Amino acid sequence: MSWWAIIAMAVGVSGQRLLGMFWAGPFLARRPTLSRLGDLLPAAVIAGVIAQLTFVSDARLTLDARAVGLLVAAVMVWRRAPLTVVVITAAAATALVRLVA
Amino acid sequence: MSAARPGPADYLALAFTYFVVGVTVSVAMIERGISIPTTLAAALLVYSATSELAFLAVRDAGGSTAIGVASGWLVASRFGLLAVSLGARYRASVWERAAASINSFDPNVGLAVQQEDRSGLRRVFWQVTAALMIGWWIGSLVGVFLGDVIGDGRAWGLDAVFPATLMAIIGALVRRRDGLTAAVVGAAVCCLLIPIAPGGLPILASALGAVVAVLAFARRPVDSSRGGPATEDRP
Repeated sequence: MSWWAIIAMAVGVSGQRLLGMFWAGPFLARRPTLSRLGDLLPAAVIAGVIAQLTFVSDARLTLDARAVGLLVAAVMVWRRAPLTVVVITAAAATALVRLVA
Repeated sequence: MSAARPGPADYLALAFTYFVVGVTVSVAMIERGISIPTTLAAALLVYSATSELAFLAVRDAGGSTAIGVASGWLVASRFGLLAVSLGARYRASVWERAAASINSFDPNVGLAVQQEDRSGLRRVFWQVTAALMIGWWIGSLVGVFLGDVIGDGRAWGLDAVFPATLMAIIGALVRRRDGLTAAVVGAAVCCLLIPIAPGGLPILASALGAVVAVLAFARRPVDSSRGGPATEDRP
């Protein structure tokens, strides 16, 4: 990874974050209907990240041990378990499936 | 975890999650022969684990540096979207808002925007940020210097840690019907696009879930009686 690649990525990534905070965020906040969009964006985007991390390998949809870990995490979250318990049981379930499979 | 009021154990778990992310990225960089100073500089300046991993994935596939950088920008678009959500409610000096936007990650924005009042939003945002940074930097250093000692974290299920943490972070949001709609549609759009769209685009498109949820619940009151803090405290 060359220095110009690092600088270019730093500018592009920070730029998007600053644009969101100073331009698009206040734009939504001034409009009552759109401000609800701002509230719901994290749920939608984080769900997308969860799907990407769990169901993808090599740019293909895959169902493997990670799906079991996510299922366990979902049940634990639904039961309102503490985050430490959610994380430990999800990792343990994933490891166990890999061990058995 | 109570999204409204994370406790000490929650912060420890958040730090652990980013410790795992830090180790993963550092090991991936070092494995490809990238030097230790460059690896740490990228962790500090690019400040996006997903962007670094996207860049490496393009280079692994024989793509040019320019395409690697473009791919890094594309996957970072989700941080732009999270900064939008934060920017819609964050009131402070211009410097503090700039610092907050640069530090926009999934856990700190996801938890901060669930706070009812503005002082709570800022407090939770920066407390979560501190936990993430402690974990991220210890993890980055451990990965750089001890990566070959640790071995494959997947045997321990460590690749399930980040998605599990994210699930807990949106836990209170998906107890509301509009939050659940946003999450389910977002995840579905992402999965549908994965086989056909370049990396990063599926997650960017998952923002459509929020649009669908806003349209679907535009006129109907949202059931928030089953827990999850209301966010209708705007002036």
